[in-house]
Amino acid sequence: MTFDDGQNDRSLAAVAGLRTYDVSQRRTQRLRSRCHALLQAQARRNTPSAIVNGVSFRRIIGPALAGAWCLAYLVEIIRRAAAVYGQ
Amino acid sequence: MARLRAGDTDAFDEVYDAYRPRVFAFLLRMSRSRMVAEDLLDETWLRLVRRAASLRPDTRLGPWLFTVARNLYWSHRRDSLVEDAFAADLLSLWPSPAPWPSPFDLAAAGELERRVEVALSTLPPQHREVVLLIAREGLTPADAAVVCGISAEALRQRLSRARAALAQKLDETPAVAAFKRRYGT
Repeated sequence: MTFDDGQNDRSLAAVAGLRTYDVSQRRTQRLRSRCHALLQAQARRNTPSAIVNGVSFRRIIGPALAGAWCLAYLVEIIRRAAAVYGQ
Repeated sequence: MARLRAGDTDAFDEVYDAYRPRVFAFLLRMSRSRMVAEDLLDETWLRLVRRAASLRPDTRLGPWLFTVARNLYWSHRRDSLVEDAFAADLLSLWPSPAPWPSPFDLAAAGELERRVEVALSTLPPQHREVVLLIAREGLTPADAAVVCGISAEALRQRLSRARAALAQKLDETPAVAAFKRRYGT
């Protein structure tokens, strides 16, 4: 079966002329607010200071605090052992 | 694109206002359900926001949005078909519900427009999507091929078949006279 191209073009022209639909104003605003909140949260996470703070805490401050606590614990054990056995 | 990647809400608003009605109309005509189209529209925009920071600077948002919307529609359709297959036996036990007016019945005021909507809605979804993307949304065949995940040649063939099927369906309806009056013979 063959179809006339002109007829086909008119079919596409009819589709092109169909109306556009949209969601309700309330739903539009709700989704917009949700997207804004997500965008802003992501932007905060991706800022250099946040990255530096996150990286520095994970890689420097955290291990340093843990190391200091272990060192203090060890020193205290040695001090008490010395107090007991040193006399 | 750079502003959107940086989380600029004004840039988001520009894209949102420009594309929201177009993406929604596409989803509505694909799904033929306002409720489904609204849910898929929400998910499309949320995906854009979640992935905004990782998008390439040369990403073209129009084709990108239609690709996401289209993939969400097909994913939803696959899930619905599975559910329908399981529910078919159960549904046959219930009394038939009253016919629910489609969005097109309610919204399409003009007879010709209504007929075109009906003809379009009866096309197979693979045909409907290429007609909508090219004729209604104005995408280039190359962009439409990317959106549909097929080659340019496959899209050309699919569009040709879709146009023929649409013309045939319009010819079958009583509105053909009005259609020819409006668009010439």
